Amino acid sequence: MTDSKLANQAAPKGFNWKPLVTNQSSILIAVILLLAGVFSAGSYGSFWDVSVFNNILTDWGLIVLLAVGQTFVVISGGIDLSVGSTVSLSGVVAGVVMVNWMHLDLNVKNEAAIAPLLLALLICIATGVAVGLLNAFLVNIVGIVPFIATLATLGGGAGLAIIWSGGMPLQGPNFYGLVNPINLGGIDFSPISFAVLLVGIIVTVAGLFLHKARFGLYTYAIGSNAFAAKAAGISVKRHLTWVYVVSGALSGIAGMYAYTRLGSGSPSSGTGLELQAIAAVVIGGTSLMGGSGKMLGTILGAFLLYEVQSGLLMVGMDPNWKQVIVAIMIAGAVGIQGFNFSQRRK
Amino acid sequence: MTGELIYEVKNVSKRYGSVVALDGASLKLHAGEVIGLVGDNGAGKSTLVKVLSGAHKSDGGQIFLDGVERTWESPRDALEAGVETLYQDSGLAPHLTVSENVFLGREKTVGGFFGWLGFLAKKQMNVEAQQDLEKVGIAFPSANRPISQLSGGQRQAVAIGRAVSWARKVIILDEPTNHLGARQAGEVLQIIRAAKAKGLGVIFISHTLPHVLEVTDRIVVLRLGRIVKDTPTAEYNVDTLLGTITGTIQTIKVEGD
Repeated sequence: MTDSKLANQAAPKGFNWKPLVTNQSSILIAVILLLAGVFSAGSYGSFWDVSVFNNILTDWGLIVLLAVGQTFVVISGGIDLSVGSTVSLSGVVAGVVMVNWMHLDLNVKNEAAIAPLLLALLICIATGVAVGLLNAFLVNIVGIVPFIATLATLGGGAGLAIIWSGGMPLQGPNFYGLVNPINLGGIDFSPISFAVLLVGIIVTVAGLFLHKARFGLYTYAIGSNAFAAKAAGISVKRHLTWVYVVSGALSGIAGMYAYTRLGSGSPSSGTGLELQAIAAVVIGGTSLMGGSGKMLGTILGAFLLYEVQSGLLMVGMDPNWKQVIVAIMIAGAVGIQGFNFSQRRK
Repeated sequence: MTGELIYEVKNVSKRYGSVVALDGASLKLHAGEVIGLVGDNGAGKSTLVKVLSGAHKSDGGQIFLDGVERTWESPRDALEAGVETLYQDSGLAPHLTVSENVFLGREKTVGGFFGWLGFLAKKQMNVEAQQDLEKVGIAFPSANRPISQLSGGQRQAVAIGRAVSWARKVIILDEPTNHLGARQAGEVLQIIRAAKAKGLGVIFISHTLPHVLEVTDRIVVLRLGRIVKDTPTAEYNVDTLLGTITGTIQTIKVEGD
């Protein structure tokens, strides 16, 4: 047992900052700052305009909600492709209830819209939870791999969103002040909006549950070795059900976020967002193999995604390059992961 | 030398589709007894381990713990009843730390509201995991290192330490000396003797016959899903044990049938 004593003495002491800032997070922060400099110079400083940052943050907020749920799913060893269509579907369901059933239209505005919008939020969350439960049923009970199960619910959800909305956005009660920068008693909190603030709180709570609580530990354990998790007495199916429900509920909240921005439940509000969310997770350093990943990485990954997309427009680049750049970022992030993995195995 | 009957299976069977992995196996384990479970690849050892540990449900047969008939719906049932298992090669989550693996499924939470929400007392678990493993006599590095950064021998040591430190009645060790050098394997055998001295019942599965002969009181030989022999270890040497496993030595009578 002599080598154990030596190893114990060599163990690092003091504040353990590594779980908070992984190497990938440090790289991301460096890239974000570097690009901010490039875009600032390329746009003669107008990149720093608060309205630009408000746009970046607002886009970021929508994707972060999806990416936070996706982080749990991917760490557990799965994937949730249904999140994009759940955004559309939940917004449409909320729109149907408010506009078609309760006959509230777009003239219900601002403070008067708060009560209907809170109801809409509950409807969106319920819709997301229903999709999450369906995903969990397909994965756990029917035994379909997550990629195919959630591909099915992605298509089904998108279809229902179009059918129930009649293919057109349902314009209902609105309160655009929620997504504009906060201005309280003359104090301007630009570029922070109420919606972005709410996303910040959700992200913080989710990060604490992922890194500090049993819920996160079980998520990592299942993604790392599902048999070991089961053998340790964890109910793997029950936990995975919760993971898909969390992802669905956050997609529902994102549906309400999109509704609030547009003032309407649109059947296309979430189209393609699943790929953006997965891109944010992967760029943030979470392995698609499961078992590893950090919430901070996901948040930075999502920010980088929108910094690049806004910045390229600011410096006058053809917007069609956007997708190519995002593709290069994903390839680069996965490449770094693979490189780190092969280094560790040596 | 050995105490009263602690764990017993009667007539358990298990099929995977058309393959009969276990065919009416019966086994008795006493407190303070070490039994060796041996057999060729495919003889049904790992299946029997999974039935004993609750990872698989048997198709037929009975399980008794302390004379009371039990059914294991999941590994949790067996763990809570005091039956710990070390699975061959697959019992640890490589991305989790040593202490997270030791406490997985039995985490310590902080007090109060945050504890109710499942927030973990990570420092306490690190300290206690370190103490538990040291008490067992396990060589391992720091308790907050991920398992993936450990050598094969260190991983095996953590898995054994976890099983031994939690076990209250029965401990099942499936190939615990795999990946180990001679000195570390000797340490594992020492841990098995210590568990026996504590009054635990130990089931030791191994292909390394000298280890089986060295540490067990009784040897149960499995062949093609059936228990073909169950006799005291003193009746064997390496050659006769090998002959019994492969079937070149005829086994006519099965004790306890």
